[in-house]
Parts: sequence; C-alpha cells; structure tokens
Amino acid sequence: MNSPDNKKSILVLKDISLSFKGVKAITDISFNVYEGEICSVIGPNGAGKSSMLNVINGVYIPQEGTITFDGKEFTKMKPHSAAVMGIGRTFQNIALFSGMSVLDNIMSGRNLMMKANFWEHALNIGRAEKEELEHRQAVEEIIEFLGLQSIRKTPVASLAYGLQKRVELGRALAAKPKMLLLDEPMAGMTMEEKLDMSCFIQEINRNYGTTIVLIEHDMGVVMDISDHVVVLDYGKKIGDGAPDEVMNNQDVIDAYLGVSH
Amino acid sequence: MFYREAGKLVGSFGKDRRMLPLLEDRWLAVLFVAFMYFVVTALASDYMFTAILIPIMVLGVATLGLNIAVGYTGQLSLGTAGFMCFGAFSAFNLILRIDWMTIPLAFFLSGMIAGGVGIIFGLPSLRIKGFYLIVSTLAAQFFAEWVFNAYPWFLNYTSSGVVSLPMHHYRVFPGQENTPFNAAFWHSSQGRYLVTLTVTILLVLACKNLVRSNTGRNWMAVRDMDIAAKVIGIPVAKTKLMAFFISTFYCGVAGAMYCYCYIGNLDFMIFNLRRSFLVMFMVIVGGLGSILGSFLGAIFVYAWPIVITRGSDFIFGGGAIDTAFIENNSKIVVGTIIIVLLIREPGGFAALWASSKQKLRVWPFAQ
Ligand SMILES: Nc1ncnc2c1ncn2[C@@H]1O[C@H](COP(=O)(O)OP(=O)(O)O)[C@@H](O)[C@H]1O
Ligand SMILES: [Mg+2]
Repeated sequence: MNSPDNKKSILVLKDISLSFKGVKAITDISFNVYEGEICSVIGPNGAGKSSMLNVINGVYIPQEGTITFDGKEFTKMKPHSAAVMGIGRTFQNIALFSGMSVLDNIMSGRNLMMKANFWEHALNIGRAEKEELEHRQAVEEIIEFLGLQSIRKTPVASLAYGLQKRVELGRALAAKPKMLLLDEPMAGMTMEEKLDMSCFIQEINRNYGTTIVLIEHDMGVVMDISDHVVVLDYGKKIGDGAPDEVMNNQDVIDAYLGVSH
Repeated sequence: MFYREAGKLVGSFGKDRRMLPLLEDRWLAVLFVAFMYFVVTALASDYMFTAILIPIMVLGVATLGLNIAVGYTGQLSLGTAGFMCFGAFSAFNLILRIDWMTIPLAFFLSGMIAGGVGIIFGLPSLRIKGFYLIVSTLAAQFFAEWVFNAYPWFLNYTSSGVVSLPMHHYRVFPGQENTPFNAAFWHSSQGRYLVTLTVTILLVLACKNLVRSNTGRNWMAVRDMDIAAKVIGIPVAKTKLMAFFISTFYCGVAGAMYCYCYIGNLDFMIFNLRRSFLVMFMVIVGGLGSILGSFLGAIFVYAWPIVITRGSDFIFGGGAIDTAFIENNSKIVVGTIIIVLLIREPGGFAALWASSKQKLRVWPFAQ
C-alpha cells in the first residue's frame, strides 16, 4: 500500500474480525507488515491493539479473516505453530514465569531448539548437557545485550517492573524470532528505561533484521523509531502508512491525536 | 561468613550448572552419602532401619513424585497412593509371572506401568485445572482400590487379601534367588536398607537432572503461566502428561519399594486415600517444588509422631500412659507444629532451610 513496492510482506492480515460473545473487538481489519521494518500499532485504550497481536500469534481465533505469515496462510493460527514459524511475543501484563530465575526464563525461550528427550535429561547424557551449554552461551549473549548480568540468578518475581519487561523481551528474543510482537514494552517505565528499551528494540531490528510489531502510546517514541504506523480505533483501522503520512491523516487527527486523553 | 558464594568464581557454564554449585555443598553431599552407606549401615539398629529409615526414604520418593506434579508442574493430584498401588502390584506380578524378572528391573517396570496409568488419569489435566483435577486423580485412587479387590488374579488368588512376598521373589540376578548370600542379604534389614538407599539416591539424582534441564523448565513454565508457555512454543499438553508420567513413575517405584523393602507383603488396603493425603501433606510441609523439601516433609510428617511417642515413653516410662492417648496427642502436637510452620513459612521446610542458609551466608554482618 503506502510502503514501497519492493518491500516484501512478512505478515498479511486480511479482513480480520474478532468478537467476544457478540461484542466486536476487531472489525474487518487488513494490513501488511513488511519484512525487516518496525511497525507500530497505535490507538486509544480498548481499540483492539492487544487483541490484534493475540490474533496474529493464535491466542485468539478470529471469526473471520486470514493471517498469512511468511507465505503460509491460516484461518486458525495456533500459538505453537506461530512460535515454530518464528513469531515471538511479549505481553502487556508481564507474563514471565514468576517462580524461575532470569536465566531460566530466558533459557525457556530456546525450548524449541532443544532436541534432547526427558530420558537424556534425567540421566544428563547424550544431547542433554551439550545442548544446555550451547544454549547457555547464546542466552548469555542476550543477557549481556540487555544488561542483565548481575541479576541472572535472581527470581524474576523480585525484580522491578522495568527489569521484568526487559527479561520478557530477552525470553522472546532467545527464540531468534523472525518477527517480534511487543505489547506496550515501554508502558509504565521511566524516561531512562524507555530510552534503553527503544534502543534495544532498534538494535534487535537492525542487527538481526527482526521485524517488529510494536504497540506504544508514547507518540515521541513511535515517530522516532517506526517505519510504519497502523492506527486502530474502536476495533477499526483508521490509518496505515509512514509515520508522517499517518500524522497528517485527518481521520487519525480527529479520532486519536486531536483528542486529548 | 562460613558459607557463601562471594569470591567463588566459576570458569565455565558447565561448572555453573552443576547440581550443587558450592564446594561446601558438594562436600556435604558426599559426606552425607558416605555416612548413609557406611556409618548408618554399620551402626543403626534393626528398629532404625525398618521403622524409620526405610519408610522415610520410600515415602520421600513418593513425596518427590507427587511434588513433580504438584510443586513443579502445578497439577494437583490426590491419587498418589493409588499410583503406588499400581507400582506395588506391577512389581509383584512381574516377579511372580516372569522367571527372569529381577528386582531392579521389576522396580523400573513397575514405575513405567504406574507412569502409564498416570498418563491416563492425567489426561483430564489437558482440559481442567486446580480443584477439578483433584476429582480425576481421586478416580485413580478409587480405581486402584477397586480393581485389585475385584480381580483376585492380581493377588495371585490369595484368599486373605494379603500376600507375603516369598524369598524367591528377591533376586537381583536371574536364577540367583537360592544363593545363601542373597537370602541373607534380603533377610537382613541392612540389605533392604541399602537397596532402598540406592534406589532413592538414583531417583533423586534423576529428578535433580530433570529440574535443571529443559524438561524441568517446561514444567515450571506451565505451572507459572501456561499461556506464555504456549506462546514460546512449549508443548503444554505434552509437558503436563510427561510430568504426570514421571510423577507417577516415582510413585510406582515407591509403591514397589513399600512392599518389597519396607513391609515385606502386598496388601492393597495400605494404599488408601489416607495415605494419599499423607503424601500430599508431606509435599506441603516440605515445600512445593523442592527435592530436599520432599524428604524433609517425609521425615517430619512420618517421624514426629514416633519421636513424640517414644519421647513420652522415655519421660513417663513406657506403658505409664495409655498408648492410644499418646498417639492421639502426638497427632494434635504435629498438627499444631505444622500449622505454625505454614503460617510463619508458607514455603515449608525447604524455604526454612534456604533462609537459614542465607543467614549463615551473611553472618555475622546482618540478619
Ligand atoms: N479475552 C477477552 N474477553 C472479552 N473481551 C475482551 C477480551 N480481550 C479483549 N476484549 C475486549 O476487546 C476490546 C479490545 O481490547 P484490547 O485488544 O485489549 O484493546 P487495547 O489493547 O487496544 O487496549 C476491549 O473492549 C476488550 O474489553
Ligand atoms: Mg492492550
């Protein structure tokens, strides 16, 4: 659409409608996410942004519409196949494994790459030890990248909110996803933490070519880091394009930006 | 001060993921195992072996098994004694009916069979959670009690309902049953203690390996946040069933040991609902999701009544007070201690242990 034609779509959402017991959360939304871009989804609370991410990785099944990821079309995406295909995810309300350490949380992000079976695990033979050490190496790189070295053995439940968000990003990143869905990764953070987080997101995008779909309320951040912005309001799409284009779109100004919240 | 991580650097990830990262802990473990094998075997009394050490280890294995389901994977179960019953009957029938069957193999296979039963009764966990799951695992309990009563074949048509296990059942190698050494070994409480100890150590090591591996992380992920587990690709259904399998494997082996190493006969009446509750109790008192806690819980719940009974015998003189009175009172005392413990430390003995270790670590600088 508004993006250059030479860009390849990694994700195509077509005519998605989702309702909960008759209450519409998403109405007939279509948009594309292009490979390697940072795409921000914005809109007021209750607009259907989180629901949209849940549809993309199969947590919610839309009543209508199709999801095409990496050339494969689905009417019913499953969370497991989304993970297998390389869709990573963080949640608006942190969904860490609260009884586990930072290290174990991030290690669990690599579970799909671990092939040893439970017999090998129980006896610590065969692939078990070797895999564990290989993946530990990769996870340590993530820990270093996110600056979590000093808390790697700390139980996540005892960490500050901002750090927990960072650990959750690390867990998603550990799976080496092709596309990362980040649901308000900077909400409730201090300015400094926000800055760190947006640096991490940009670095992930740049260094690994990971496509990012991001929900964010801070327009400064959105304008700064997005290649592409999709605007939702009351479950409908009202804007879609490059950040400056979207900002000048009259519908968007009326429905969202113009209205003070 | 005496006991700390500070300044102890590990040079590789392999060393960092050791079962016991601290040198002191490793020495302590080695010394403890050596003590159990050599000192205890040489010095403990028959009473100590048969009434205290063996049952505690057997119940500890069952508690560990239940802890895998409840503490590590978050799947409530009240079928423990039923699963132990399946293990006990499997071991008995395997040895009874297969000439070349040996005790170690029978223990292993009875774990496998109980594990299979565990998977079947774990199937509802794919759809239901929490208290409702208890109902399905209770079904396992009642099914076990019913099936071994209804089909006398399982008891080899013994009319009394209790089969004592003949000495020729006890073989470590095929055809070895008639050697004098074998008979002497199994007749002695030391022999049965050593077998129980070895099986227990092997199962503890396997469990420790599991919980520090991807399997264990998957269990805990499902326990803590199953939707997030699904989203990062953890096969939630498979993980739950595997947890049920391994959990009931442990319970099954515990059941087989209960008969062959502890009481020396087979009786399905032992594996009643009360025992399921007892093991659940041990898990809670010991600490959910803790291997050490499983055994601390088993020790506490099993041994306290004995300590109190014997203690009052010692103080007031045996027979001075009605034994039934003492027994009932010991229950009240144990119950009270447990309530106080759980109010002060909901994490059970495992948490108490961890916090005292923490105190040792910082002593004398802070509280
Ligand atoms: N699991 C659910 N059950 C019922 N209604 C839901 C559920 N999830 C979201 N909704 C509804 O869908 C609408 C969109 O919610 P959401 O996607 O969370 O919005 P946003 O993330 O943009 O703030 C809201 O009206 C919300 O109440
Ligand atoms: Mg939301």
